[in-house]
Amino acid sequence: MASRALACCVRSVARAPARLNHGSVLSRSACAPLAPKQRPLSVLSCSQRPRWTQLVRISGPSVHQCRHYGDLPPLTLENIEERVMYVLKLYDKISPEKLQSSSHFMKDLGLDSLDQVEIIMAMEDEFGFEIPDAEAEKLMTPAEIVQFIADKKDVYE
Amino acid sequence: MRGVRMSRSDVLSLYRRVLRIARSWTAQSALPHDTDTERKYIAQEARTLFRQNQQITDPESIKRCTEECEARIEIGLHYRNPYPRPTYLPPMGLATQKGRKLRAQQRLRKQAKPVYLHSHDET
Repeated sequence: MASRALACCVRSVARAPARLNHGSVLSRSACAPLAPKQRPLSVLSCSQRPRWTQLVRISGPSVHQCRHYGDLPPLTLENIEERVMYVLKLYDKISPEKLQSSSHFMKDLGLDSLDQVEIIMAMEDEFGFEIPDAEAEKLMTPAEIVQFIADKKDVYE
Repeated sequence: MRGVRMSRSDVLSLYRRVLRIARSWTAQSALPHDTDTERKYIAQEARTLFRQNQQITDPESIKRCTEECEARIEIGLHYRNPYPRPTYLPPMGLATQKGRKLRAQQRLRKQAKPVYLHSHDET
């Protein structure tokens, strides 16, 4: 009985990160060594599975993907901020010394609306997804851009 | 006749549309070198023309400029060629040897110029 409880424990712990992470390879590699143990106990565990999956909650930051398999590294707020600042520094109409996270494009940096459109297009190129017109017009500081991208990409706030 | 006035956001959407076309453009010849050149040309042309006409406040001129932009977009996408499409001179459109009919011919040429060649000088 103790071994059955332990097997259920280990199986559900292995299954929970498989659900949370994107890569299914991780789950397959984690479940493979447990397969021989699972089969004799599978009938018994069926009824217990819903209970265990509800109980086991693993929070986001503690589960790290070790292998990406050609996928991009996971986005964090600092990462997004860094990339946004990098793209802005490469833009020739902005002087890198005056650039801060809260500097307004029109009021502080002296750009106009055409420049703002170009900046948002550069952000679209960098992050690889399209930003619709109505929302693109409202993004006026680097901090707002970072917030918008974090909202779109569901990075933990 | 009541016309719809172009707002700032419409003009910016047009600019964004041109830049998006430039991003995904492929040349007719499908050579990577040509594709690259034409993409840069589209972006550069849009940037210069929009900036040059930035200060216009007269609604008629704004309407003409936006018509020019849309015409060039449609023609460029149809013929797969981003460069402005040249047209013929109107008949008797160039000055005679004596130079007397110069002004009338200038007017004639100006009237015959299509809307999508508006920002380009006669060369």
